[in-house]
Amino acid sequence: MTEKNKFSIMHRTNGEVDCLHLHGYLDALTAPELESSIDKLIKDGRKMILVNFRNLDYISSAGLGVFMAFIEDLRKSGGDIKLTEMNPKVFSVFDLLGFPMLFDIDKEDESALQKFANGDIKGDV
Amino acid sequence: MYSRNDTYSNLICAPGKYSELRKVRKFVSTKAELFGFGADEANQIALAVDEACTNLIQHAYHLDKSKQFCVEVETSGRRFVVKILDDGEPFNPLDVNSPNMKKYLKEFRKGGLGIHLMKLVMDDIKYSPSSKSRPQNVLKLIKLLQ
Repeated sequence: MTEKNKFSIMHRTNGEVDCLHLHGYLDALTAPELESSIDKLIKDGRKMILVNFRNLDYISSAGLGVFMAFIEDLRKSGGDIKLTEMNPKVFSVFDLLGFPMLFDIDKEDESALQKFANGDIKGDV
Repeated sequence: MYSRNDTYSNLICAPGKYSELRKVRKFVSTKAELFGFGADEANQIALAVDEACTNLIQHAYHLDKSKQFCVEVETSGRRFVVKILDDGEPFNPLDVNSPNMKKYLKEFRKGGLGIHLMKLVMDDIKYSPSSKSRPQNVLKLIKLLQ
């Protein structure tokens, strides 16, 4: 991977849901880019955010911190961040810290989109 | 201090900036796999080193890229040891209490997970602050090959 494609985000909308597809690696260098993307969506009044990890190779606590930064305010406004298609290496970092207690982490976008449609929010911590 | 990096060396040195983290992770995970760890464990060791270096770049070096830190791999028997050497103010990560994660998540807390992750994935961690006889702080992250 070259320095240029160390991290990128592809943004699609699916009705009320904004889908962010992450590519590359998410660490202290690249986390601010994701943070500003989500911040912009929220400032634009969007509150249902799906983050797809299929092409994300690596995450550190700086990356995890981005999701903690927004989840409380999003949930208060009736929105959510749902996470999908993590590879086992990336999932293991979320799992080590117990994040599946707080976040919906789905194998496929379809089930996450269905949860958004049903208004399902994970919060049983 | 130390000589520059070369392909066969067990030592890599880098300036205090986040763009160096990827190189450091690659160095550590390659060494870990060569030692016999599987890809997942090698990734976890690289993660622990990333967390330690991120803290050091942010809190000890304040993103000052004129400052350098070094990462050295030492092995003996089943022990895989990553030493992180820096010239910043001493800071012992072992002094930081691990958060109660259930409470952390329930209260939507932010930050402070790097050291906790380091402790979770490594078997042992040792810290020696700089002294008159040794000018650098040394953090040792230790993982045993099962």
